[in-house]
Amino acid sequence: MRRFRASLLILPAAALIFLFIVLPYVTVLVMSFRAPGANGEPYGPGFGLQGYAQFFDEGYYLWSLPQSLLLGIVTTFVCLVLAYPIALHIAGARRRWRGLLYGIVLSPLLIGIVIRSYGWTILLGNSGVINSTLRDLGLIQRPLPLMYNDFGVVLALSHVFLPFMVLPLLSALQSMDPAVKQAARSLGARPFTIFRRVTFPVSMPGVQTGCILVFVLAISSYVTPALVGGMRVKTTTLLVVDALIDQFQWPFGSAMALILAVSAGVIVLIFARLTAMKWN
Amino acid sequence: MTEVSLRSLVKRYGKTEALKGISLNVRHGEFVSLLGPSGCGKSTTLKCIAGFEETSDGQILFDDRDISRKLPEDRDIGMVFQSYALFPHMTVAQNLAFGLEMRRLQKREITERVGRAMEMVQLTPYAERYPKALSGGQQQRVALARALVIEPKILLLDEPLANLDAKLRDEMRGFIRDLQKRVGITTIYVTHDQGEAMTMSDRVVVMFDGEIAQAAAPEDVYDKPASERVARFVGNANILELPVRTNDEAGVELGLPGGLSLTIQRPVPAANGTLGVMARPEQIALTDPAAGHLRGRISKRYFSGGHVEYHVETDLGPLVVLAPTSQSAKEGESVGLDFDASRLWPLPGRTGSAESRA
Repeated sequence: MRRFRASLLILPAAALIFLFIVLPYVTVLVMSFRAPGANGEPYGPGFGLQGYAQFFDEGYYLWSLPQSLLLGIVTTFVCLVLAYPIALHIAGARRRWRGLLYGIVLSPLLIGIVIRSYGWTILLGNSGVINSTLRDLGLIQRPLPLMYNDFGVVLALSHVFLPFMVLPLLSALQSMDPAVKQAARSLGARPFTIFRRVTFPVSMPGVQTGCILVFVLAISSYVTPALVGGMRVKTTTLLVVDALIDQFQWPFGSAMALILAVSAGVIVLIFARLTAMKWN
Repeated sequence: MTEVSLRSLVKRYGKTEALKGISLNVRHGEFVSLLGPSGCGKSTTLKCIAGFEETSDGQILFDDRDISRKLPEDRDIGMVFQSYALFPHMTVAQNLAFGLEMRRLQKREITERVGRAMEMVQLTPYAERYPKALSGGQQQRVALARALVIEPKILLLDEPLANLDAKLRDEMRGFIRDLQKRVGITTIYVTHDQGEAMTMSDRVVVMFDGEIAQAAAPEDVYDKPASERVARFVGNANILELPVRTNDEAGVELGLPGGLSLTIQRPVPAANGTLGVMARPEQIALTDPAAGHLRGRISKRYFSGGHVEYHVETDLGPLVVLAPTSQSAKEGESVGLDFDASRLWPLPGRTGSAESRA
């Protein structure tokens, strides 16, 4: 009875999750199997697989999927490579510096997404800060293609999602017993060997969490690819929004959103399986 | 086998001196404990020997070769940490193999030596387990085997039993001691537990405030402490400050209340005025109130199985007496106390002092 009453405490949260997460997903699932609409209607009477068929029939849509997933993978990799040294440094920093370093790491999240993306366009644009400086210095004749391509999108995405990689890495590194590294030294291991054989493998739970977080966030992002990619980098999320709002094709948009979600889920599962830690 | 010499080892952190000139010789195969309260410098000394702390001054020699500027990975030491510091992502066998792989040994030899080391600590059935799946005592044994399998010059242990429960701790004391004797490795052991230091060591080094207060065999540290502080840190000590009646080559006669006296048959130089002497609780016997050197009243009685501890109020202040259970007295009872004069130990530093009892 006690335990039953205590479990009532999760009711509000459960209700919220049901109302705003489960229900919408079910709606999207049902919508994806509806017939396409005609005459400006978002969907037609009856059910059908036309939404899915359209995605697989047209290369324009189909190819956006590997493109999006690849973009997510590359962003994740860039974040990991950039975040690891940062996390190592903060974990080894003195206590009083740590707060400041934390703040710097979190700072990209403090700026609104639109402003941040706009900031990147000022830096990366054809007449942006970087290109005009290089041109003034006489180093280039034509502007470098920094924006409206995968490069710019990966750069801007990595900037925002870096904290989501740093924080799990940091917590993994900080929870590591410092004596473990000393033990490795006493056994004759040199710094790089200690990193390769001890520090990095022991921090794997953090690597795993960080990679999954960044990957999921990156493939589902919309504003950054839209602004920095300038609609020239076609990610599946962009096409989903286009189908739902501009084409007003709800079944097609829903089908595409589900295909993206399932593909991302499969990749996350494969990744988790590959990096599974028997020891943890 | 290796001999370790510390020569005037100094370690400074900014302006504070953590080690104020430590000199110590550890012989081949000797088991030496560094004993002291936290902050006394025992762990710092060990870290300096291991190389995790750089010495500010002085030398550390392994067999007459100065290694104080060498990196820890080049010192050829085996170290056991308080937290065991096992590699969590490696199995027991992989943990043991790590140090051998660093030495680039042949695969066959590694397997062979790891196998022998696991036998030595009775962990062969656990070879493929991860540290998380082992008990504290088993992890401790892995840590020990990992340190020994590389056949290091010396073995350093940093409070290795602190995280174990009491019963296991007693078991591991004997285990570590036996293993050390069998391997015959020079060993330096850091602990704040005097019982641990006494039961395991050939020699106990008592440290206070970054200095060595006494380095001697466990019996000598217990029976003949170099100072009042050592006496109080190592076991329970009754310290009496008694007036000196006569003092010559034959010994010192000390006055007791009620006109009685105690004679220490050992010359004590420069004992005038008063002399501080130490009596361990088990060196005082309870007698009839009329007999003995001193009278008192039992204020507290603690039964501990083999012995009973009595707190006795006397004219010289409260004393602690440890008596066999066969000799029982009640709280509030009047008793006489009989000192074993041959085991009373005069405390240098308390000699002739007029300061009040601590």
